[in-house]
Amino acid sequence: MTSPLPERLDHLQLPPPSPHFIMPAYHSIFLEDRDVPVIGNFPILPLRTRTRGPAYTLPTLPPNTLDIDVSPDSESYDCVDEILSLFRANVLFRNFEINGPADRMLIYGTLFVSECLGKVKPIMSARDAEKALINAALDNFAIPGDVSFPLNQAFEPPRDRQDAESLRAYISQVRQETAMRLHARLYPGGEGPSKFWLSFTKRKFMGKSL
Amino acid sequence: MASQTPAVVMDNGTGYSKLGFAGNDSPSFVFPTAIATKAGAGSAGSSTGSRPAVSNKPSFLSGNAGASSHLSGKRGTEDLDFFIGDEALAAGNGPGYGVNYPIRHGQIENWDYMERFWSNSIFKYLRVEPEDHYFLLTEPPLNPPENRENTAEIMFESFNCAGLYIAVQAVLALAASWTSSKVTDRSLTGTVIDSGDGVTHVIPVAEGYVIGSSIKSIPIAGRDITYFVQSLLRDRGEPDSSLKTAEKVKEEYCYVSPDIVKEFARYDREPDRLLKHTVTSPNGRSIQIDVGYERFLAPEIFFNPEIYSSDFLTPLPNVVDGVIQSSPIDVRRGLYKNIVLSGGSTLYKDFGRRLQRDIRHLVDARIRASEARSGGARSGGLDVAVVTHKRQRHGPWFGGSLLGQTPEFRSYCHTKAEYDEIGPSIVRRFALLGGPGSS
Repeated sequence: MTSPLPERLDHLQLPPPSPHFIMPAYHSIFLEDRDVPVIGNFPILPLRTRTRGPAYTLPTLPPNTLDIDVSPDSESYDCVDEILSLFRANVLFRNFEINGPADRMLIYGTLFVSECLGKVKPIMSARDAEKALINAALDNFAIPGDVSFPLNQAFEPPRDRQDAESLRAYISQVRQETAMRLHARLYPGGEGPSKFWLSFTKRKFMGKSL
Repeated sequence: MASQTPAVVMDNGTGYSKLGFAGNDSPSFVFPTAIATKAGAGSAGSSTGSRPAVSNKPSFLSGNAGASSHLSGKRGTEDLDFFIGDEALAAGNGPGYGVNYPIRHGQIENWDYMERFWSNSIFKYLRVEPEDHYFLLTEPPLNPPENRENTAEIMFESFNCAGLYIAVQAVLALAASWTSSKVTDRSLTGTVIDSGDGVTHVIPVAEGYVIGSSIKSIPIAGRDITYFVQSLLRDRGEPDSSLKTAEKVKEEYCYVSPDIVKEFARYDREPDRLLKHTVTSPNGRSIQIDVGYERFLAPEIFFNPEIYSSDFLTPLPNVVDGVIQSSPIDVRRGLYKNIVLSGGSTLYKDFGRRLQRDIRHLVDARIRASEARSGGARSGGLDVAVVTHKRQRHGPWFGGSLLGQTPEFRSYCHTKAEYDEIGPSIVRRFALLGGPGSS
């Protein structure tokens, strides 16, 4: 049946849904960056890191600046900063709509932080936790396309073996950098682990885990 | 000569009853709408289960001998053996008494219990002679007229009260907002957001009349916030995470943040935002617990229900916007301009400010979209204002107190004499108190 309303009035009946309604969780600001190289559809975003790997390296922070003080406008702000600052909010959400490659990095990073939190026990000293986190980062891990990778519906596999190798190297770099910076947040000033961070251990972003 | 005794204002809600006198600043009594009777839970189950209003009424009102009726059979002294309010809860903890809640979802479900509840409220708590006072009672929106009649029967025939007015809670909440300095025109048009313990209602009111077809309720309210606080305390392994502690934490420390990610970052930079709360248990031992992100995460479930519930996902600002959009087009401007908060769960700091900002975003986005579609037409804009005021907690009661003290209040009431002449159906209609033409 056709609508009895003339076409011009029709759109007045249905206000467009607001953006807030469609995507309540927080998205990556790197979605705005153009020309981000991708492997499959995983973005190869620059990192501020000393770990060696294929990532383009951003300038280090000026002395006496803490990781938590980096503003998103700074040229040193990278996706790991973003993952860690959005983690506590996004991990509460069950739905997340992927708006571009940069969001895939956010998803992967968030799930990896969850995994890391699972490795840190409340009684661990800073040294022990550091070891556990580095082990978690270096452990055998699956990359998109592997059978054991949990998010294969949303992530494309790399084109060939060479791409797969560089993707693995890049993700490894991201994992190590994330683990190190997470450690700094878990043990602010060497004290910890922060129970406020560990309280997010049980939450599962999108109901998934790595 | 106005030998005016002050009107009695009673606001009986699902959770709490607020009783007091018109003209006062705050209710004289606030206690749970609960009654403890000797009969125990057995008879309570059968009487709340049966819906027909007439059979639930006191037997001497409906006039049948009531041999089969559960309560009429034992109208002896055990009939007087009951407690209401906090005493009822205390008695319910001991042996022999069963606690009942005569109001469910805002409506009176058990008239026998309600009559006794009122009788104790009037004679034991307020200690007034109903013959000397006018009564202002409240009712939820969309209350069936039969319920009004039953109320009138009890008020006039059992208590002989001098006069009666029954007002809609949402309308009284609007009147209560007149105390805010932001409100200048004292209109009875606006959107009331009433959030108590069990449920949150969004009620559009146009010139004193509730737009029933547009009312929406949200299954997220005070109790859910308490549960969410409790779950956050448990996740962190705090030494005490009882419901009572969670409630205390909610009431004392929670506030609404503009943006949760920025708020998390703020806690990282300013660790003194993490607080300590001391719980003293009945045996005198006290434990200290930490209070962390629940301070702003708990009220956030109004704005992002997804973080708490998996089946209800629409944020409160979107619900309010939807309610106003579904109301008649000629009142929408007034509904956006006067969004009034009421009830205990709207008391969080900056709740109104965040709500206003979020609704404004929705409205602005829609205006921009339709400007773009119209090809060059400009909109004059739409004013969105959320009114916060000092009387929010007992908004409907205070609104009743405000209107009940006006000189013309009595002329709006139905008196005992009118009731005797016309009968219960007289209370189906009330002139609009506080509407146009009154002071």
